[in-house]
Amino acid sequence: MAIRSILAGVAALACLSGGALAQETVVAGALRFVSNGALFVAIEKGFFKEEGLEVELRFFQAAQPIAVAVVSGDIDVGMTAFTGGFYNLAGKGGLKVIAAQAREKKGYEGNAVLVSNAAFAKGFRKIEDFPGHSLGITQVGSSFHYQIGQLARIKGFDLKRVELKPLQSLPAMAAALKTNQVDALIIAPHIAKGLAAAGDAHLIGWYSDFDEYQFGALFTSPKMIEARRATLEKFVRAYQKGAGEFASAMLRLDGAGKRVFDPAAADPIAGMIAKYVYPSDPPAEGTRKVKGATFYVDAQARLDVGDIHGQVAWYKSQGMVDAAVDPKAFIDLGFVKGHTNVPR
Amino acid sequence: MRLVAERIGHGYGALDVLSDISFSVADGEIVAVVGPSGCGKSTLLRILGGLERPRAGRALIEGTAPPGSLNPITFVFQDFALLPWRTVAGNVALVLEDRPLAAAERREMVAGALARMGLADFADAYPKQLSGGMRQRVGLARALVVRPAVLLMDEPLSALDAQTRELLMDDLTGLLAAERFAGVYVTHNLGEAVRLARRILVMSRRPGRVRSVVEIARPIAGRSAGDAELAAAAQAIWESLREEAVAADRELADG
Amino acid sequence: MAEPVPFRGGGFQPRARRLVAVATLAVLVAGWSLASRAGWVSPIALPPPEEVATALVRLARSGELARHLAASLSRLVSGFALGAGAGVVVGLAIGLVSLARSAGMPVIAALFPIPKIALLPLFVVWFGIGEASKVATIAFGAFFPMAVATYGGVDGVDRTLIRMAQSFGLPTLSIVRKVVLPGALPAMLSGTRIAAAIAIILIVAAEMIGANEGIGAFILAAGNLMQTDQLVAGVVVLSVLGLTVSGLIGAAESVLLRWRR
Repeated sequence: MAIRSILAGVAALACLSGGALAQETVVAGALRFVSNGALFVAIEKGFFKEEGLEVELRFFQAAQPIAVAVVSGDIDVGMTAFTGGFYNLAGKGGLKVIAAQAREKKGYEGNAVLVSNAAFAKGFRKIEDFPGHSLGITQVGSSFHYQIGQLARIKGFDLKRVELKPLQSLPAMAAALKTNQVDALIIAPHIAKGLAAAGDAHLIGWYSDFDEYQFGALFTSPKMIEARRATLEKFVRAYQKGAGEFASAMLRLDGAGKRVFDPAAADPIAGMIAKYVYPSDPPAEGTRKVKGATFYVDAQARLDVGDIHGQVAWYKSQGMVDAAVDPKAFIDLGFVKGHTNVPR
Repeated sequence: MRLVAERIGHGYGALDVLSDISFSVADGEIVAVVGPSGCGKSTLLRILGGLERPRAGRALIEGTAPPGSLNPITFVFQDFALLPWRTVAGNVALVLEDRPLAAAERREMVAGALARMGLADFADAYPKQLSGGMRQRVGLARALVVRPAVLLMDEPLSALDAQTRELLMDDLTGLLAAERFAGVYVTHNLGEAVRLARRILVMSRRPGRVRSVVEIARPIAGRSAGDAELAAAAQAIWESLREEAVAADRELADG
Repeated sequence: MAEPVPFRGGGFQPRARRLVAVATLAVLVAGWSLASRAGWVSPIALPPPEEVATALVRLARSGELARHLAASLSRLVSGFALGAGAGVVVGLAIGLVSLARSAGMPVIAALFPIPKIALLPLFVVWFGIGEASKVATIAFGAFFPMAVATYGGVDGVDRTLIRMAQSFGLPTLSIVRKVVLPGALPAMLSGTRIAAAIAIILIVAAEMIGANEGIGAFILAAGNLMQTDQLVAGVVVLSVLGLTVSGLIGAAESVLLRWRR
C-alpha cells in the first residue's frame, strides 16, 4: 500500500510537471444506496472528468468493509454511514472524514420508525411507547442503534428498556417485523414505505421529525491526504458539484415546506442515480424508487461537525467507542469550506 | 439328541459351494469334516448352526436337548469372536445375561467355566492382554457355560501356533472325553481330525460333496499325538485328498 | 573390514510432548507481542496480546464473560444434545435397517455439505429469532457428523461378533446394546469430536440473529464496533472452549475405550 501511494504520488507529479491532462484514477468504495447519490451524479455529469480524474467505483455489500478497505489502502476514498465501528477505526488513526454524505434533516424524509401490526394493535402508536418493546437493528453500534439511542434521549426513556435484536441485514429486519418477531424497526425510507403500503407494518413517524443528524460522510486515509492532497481536493470539488446538482433537483420544498419533485429537474438526476442503485430495474421503475428513497444531502457537502462530536460522545457513553477516540483528530476541515456547527 | 444334515446344498450366485451333503451326529459323537480349502466346510457348519439358510435340503434336530442345556447347538469360532471391550469373565457372562438366571447362579456358572479352562486368574483381563491360546480357552469357556449338546467347532485351533495348538488339543480332548458333548469339528488339519473324531467326513473340492467317510473306533481318551495308527489313518486320508487339493489350489479364487 | 549395517528404521511415530506444545504457544504469543511493539503489525490489523489480555480480564471481572458464556453454553449443550442424539439414532437406524439405510444415506449425502450458515434465514423463518433457531442451527450442524460417524461405526463392527451373539441366542436388543453400540463407540467418539467442533464453529453463526448475549454475539458486536482487542479476546474464549471440550472428549475416550490399550 505504501508502494501504491508512492506510485500515485509520482503519477501526480508527472501530471503536474508535464502539464498534460492525463486522467488520474481515484478508487472509490460505496454501497448501492441513494444516500450516495451525489457521487453518482458527479460521475454521470462528468464533473470528475472535468477535474482530470477517472473514478473507479467499487461496490460493497456492507458498510464496514469500505472503511477497512480505505484503511488498508485497497481503495482511496469511501462513503458510508457513521457507525460505532467507523469511529473506533477512525480513532485508531486509519481514517479522515473530509466531506458530508446524507443527513437527517427536519422536513425531509429519512429513516422511518415502523411498528409491527401485532404491537400496533396492542397500542404501540408513538415513540414514547418504545419501553418494553423490541427493536430490530442490523448490528450493535449501527446507525439504527444510534438513532434509537437518540430517540430515547429526546423522549426521556431508558434505552435499556428497549430490547435490541441484531438481525444483520435489512431483509432479515423486514422479515422479522412482518412476522411480529420484533415490535419495531428504524429503517430506510423506501423499505419503510413499501412495508407500510403493503399493510405489513405501521409507520409511526420519521426520525427527522425528532432529531437532525449527520448520517454519513466521504472519507479517506491520512496516507492518501499526505500523498495525494491535490487529487483529493479535485475529487471533493467534483463531488460537491454533484451534491449541488442533487440538492437542487431532488430536495425542493413547496411553499408549505413540503418536499416536491419537479419531474423535469428530478427525473433525469434520479435516473442517473437509478443506474447505480437499481441496475437491474427498468429506468422508469428505478427513477421512481430513487425518488422514494431520497435523503437530504447538503448542497456543498458540508458536515455538521458538532453533531459528529455528539455522536462520538454518545457511543462513548454506551461503551461502544473507546474513550481515546477524538473527533477533532479524524475530521479534516480543509477540503470543504463552511462546515457547520464546528466546536471551538 | 441328534443333529442331521439332510441333502444340504448351497451356493452364492452362480457359484455352487455345497452339493447333496447328508450325515448325522449322534449323542456324544464327534464328526470331523476335512477337505481342500474352499470346499464349503465352514458354510456347512454355519448351516448346521442356523446361521445360514441352505439352498437345498435342511438341517434337523432329532429328539430333545438334554435338560439344563441353555444353547443346545453352540459354536466355537476360528478367530475366537471375543468382545474386546469385555473382560474374560464379561465375555463368558455375555451369553448368560439374557437367560432367566439369578445373578449369583450366573456368577457361579461363569466362575466354574473359567476354572474349568484354567482361566480363574484371568477373569478381569481384557482379550487384548491374552495370548491366542488363552483367548480360545475363553471361547471354549463361553461355549461350556451354556451347557451345549452339540459343539460346532470351526477350525478352532488354526489361528494358533503349533505349540499352542498342541496344548489346546490336549485340553480339548480332555474336555470332550469328560463331558461327552457331541460335536462337528471342521478342520484342514488331518492330524487334529484323527485325534478327535469318531468319524471323518472327507469332502471333495467345490462344490463340496462327501467323498468318503473314515471311521476310527478307538476312544478319544486313548489317542495321543505320536500314535502310529492314527498317523497311518491321516496319511490314507491325505492320499485320497491330494489330487483334490492340488486341483483346488489351481482354481481361480472366483472360480 | 566390517561396517555396521546402516540404520533405516525409526520415524513415523509422532508423539505429542506437552512441553513442546506449551512452548510453541508461548513463542507464538511472544512473537506476536514483539511484532506489535516494534510496529510491524498495525494495531488496526491485530491488537497486541497485552491489550487482548486486558480485555479478557475486564470481561471476566465485570461478569460479562460469565453471562456470555452461560448463554452460549446453554445453546451449545442443548443444540449439541439434540443434534448428536438424533444423529446417533438415525446413524444406528441407517447402520441396522435396510429401509432406513436406503432412505437415509442419500438424504444425508445431500444435506451434509450444505453450509448451515446459508440456512440461517430459513431457520429464522421456521423457528423465529428466539432461542429455538439458535439451538436448531447448532443441532443441525452436530447432527450430520454424528449420524455419519455412527453408521460408519456400525458398518465397521466385526460381523463375526454379531453372528457369535446370534449363535448364543442373544435377543436383537441385547445384540445392539452389547455388541453393536460398544463396537461402534470408537467411531462415535471421533464423530463427537467433529460434531462438537462444528457446534462451536456454529455458535457465532447461531448468535448472528437476535442475540444480545453469548460469546458469538459478543464477537460479532466487537467486530461491528471494530473493537479488535475484544474481538480477539472473544476468539480466545472460543478457542479455550474448544480445547476444554476436546479435553473432555479425550477423557471420555480414555475411560470408555480402556479396552483398546
